[in-house]
Amino acid sequence: MTALTRPARPNSAGDAALRPVPWRRMAGVSWRQHRIALAGAAVLLGALAVWLWIMGTPLHHAYAAAIACHPASSAACQGSIANFNQSVENHFMGSKGTGGVLLQVVPALIGAFVGAPVLARELETGTFRYAWTQGFGRWRWALAKLVALALVLAAATAAFGALVSWYYQPYLGTGNPALGLNENSPFGDLFSLREVTFPAWTVASFATAALAGMLIRRVVPAIVATLAAYAGLAFATAGLLREHYLTPLVTSSVSPPGTAWIISQWSTLDGRFAFAGNPPTSIFNQLGPCLAAGNGKPLAGGFPQQLAQCLAQHGYTQWTSYQPASRLWPFQWIEGGWLLALSALLIAATIWLVHRRAA
Amino acid sequence: MTALTMPARPDEDDASPRPVPWRRMAGVTWRQHRVALGCVAALLGALAVWLWIAGTSVHHAWAAATACHPAASPACQDLANTFNGTWDNMSIPAVLLQVVPAAIGAFVGAPVLARELETGTFRFAWTQGFGRWRWALAKLVPLALVLAAATAAFGALVSWCYQPYAATGNQALGIYGNSPLVTVPSLREVTFPAWTVAAFATAALAGMLIRRVVPAIVATLAVYAGLAIAAAGLLREHYLAPLVTSSANVPGAAWLISQWWTKGGRLAFAGNPPDSLLNQFCSFGPGPSSKGGAPASPGQTFAQCLAPHGYTQWTSYQPASRFWPFQWIEGGWLLALSVLFIAVAIWLVQRRAA
Repeated sequence: MTALTRPARPNSAGDAALRPVPWRRMAGVSWRQHRIALAGAAVLLGALAVWLWIMGTPLHHAYAAAIACHPASSAACQGSIANFNQSVENHFMGSKGTGGVLLQVVPALIGAFVGAPVLARELETGTFRYAWTQGFGRWRWALAKLVALALVLAAATAAFGALVSWYYQPYLGTGNPALGLNENSPFGDLFSLREVTFPAWTVASFATAALAGMLIRRVVPAIVATLAAYAGLAFATAGLLREHYLTPLVTSSVSPPGTAWIISQWSTLDGRFAFAGNPPTSIFNQLGPCLAAGNGKPLAGGFPQQLAQCLAQHGYTQWTSYQPASRLWPFQWIEGGWLLALSALLIAATIWLVHRRAA
Repeated sequence: MTALTMPARPDEDDASPRPVPWRRMAGVTWRQHRVALGCVAALLGALAVWLWIAGTSVHHAWAAATACHPAASPACQDLANTFNGTWDNMSIPAVLLQVVPAAIGAFVGAPVLARELETGTFRFAWTQGFGRWRWALAKLVPLALVLAAATAAFGALVSWCYQPYAATGNQALGIYGNSPLVTVPSLREVTFPAWTVAAFATAALAGMLIRRVVPAIVATLAVYAGLAIAAAGLLREHYLAPLVTSSANVPGAAWLISQWWTKGGRLAFAGNPPDSLLNQFCSFGPGPSSKGGAPASPGQTFAQCLAPHGYTQWTSYQPASRFWPFQWIEGGWLLALSVLFIAVAIWLVQRRAA
């Protein structure tokens, strides 16, 4: 593969111009060098997809049975609704279930194990001296490989994210509060595994691994560094960034919609801030008689509802800041957007380093 | 480093050659794996700091909730809710910590043999005077012991951190509690090192079979995932034969395996009653503490309306007192598996053509 190709008919004027090696030649090279890593990612996603399909089909049937059951107040229907609600809490793939949490490591693993060897393996084994002195040019070589691999990973993980969304849909049970079905916020722990965020996180992990591989120049340390960086970024996003993508709504209603993501709660008295979260002990003692009086007839919402009523009777106003469920897709695109920008920045930095590194 | 050391005074009678002592390998092992071990120490150290901070607040909340009297008063209920709320923060780390034994074992164990084979340096390392299978044994066993010691200490910290959620008196007080048999069972003093060493041994064997480091790491993680899922879903509940009782009051901290109903000595159904029986015998009015009248704890109320008609509810469970026997059983079979894998790896080292 050389940069200069001699035309077959040297007398023809049009062929005398030198043509560089076309970009599509790199597709075959990328496939040949990374086919095992990509196949490993395909096997992992395929196995998880089969498992999600097997677990999700009976879940959807139970959900359909629960909402279609008439009359809703009969013992049998109440039993099926209670069964469904129980399964939401205990399910392996629930937002706090073992499967749901462990699925969060999949974008990190795919990105780290596919991305780190792209540059680090060449540097570690010394084959960069061969690969970068072919006619294609070193930074074009890096760009063709990184972008092609990132696109393939994004496509595969976007399809998987759609499957996760399908699986998760009964848990979000909007529109059925009258039946007593559990409602969960779509901003729960599976938010980063949806159609937009799953590929975004995977490509971000891939880009981090590529840059780490270029900086560290060894494959296994680059994988470890990528996993550490990904963990830090994921925790920072879930804990700090995600709730501020759009300014939260504030309401003084005592029951915000069940599917809303509660950010914080506080109480005011006569327009001035009183306390955040639960009342301090001093105020609790003031509420004692009111709470004790309510014990004979517990309210539907249980203790929190009682507490809210007693606070209201004493002149406190409770405020809740939350993100409504209707903001799911704007949040998905915001998170996907900044992750995509980060990935582009990291890949650009990687290619610049490839360009600048002394041969 | 040669196998035969000539004595300094050759005319002495003790002219027999002495093999290189085993302890020389300690320095070699440290030199070659110090970065991996350093990273393990950093990871466990950072997690330990976080567990210490989180565990202290959990213990404070639990102490406040259990010391409050009377338990039904609103102030005490609020303390109970605060403690229950801490579980929301600790349940996700309980799951994420389960990848730590796999990651440590895979990343420390795979390069031991695979890196030598991948880079070709085995031709140098195995032709030194120490002998190739002794070299492998002297590397794998000390690394496994170091990992076991570090993770056993970490497992003790995890046990301390999660102990309030497994205390036996919790359910009587109305606060969140679960059987100690299901509260992070694979992350305790015995099982954390056992799973780590099993991952390490798997990685060593995978490295010897696959002869490439990164594929060996991936294979180890896959095998570990399969083993952990099999242990949690199938094996763990059968370590000892479960106890069976027809009493409605199973001890609070017991691990419920399954429930079924009999009538007249024959099995009627398992799990929850079918709709036909519910419609026939049970009628639900507006319940005291639920929306719409569904039973708050279905098992309890079903028993109340089915028992007069001759149905008996049976529960098979594992009592909380079996916590330590279960730990030792799990640690034991994992240790046996690790010994087997390391033995096979060393045997392969010896048999492989130079």
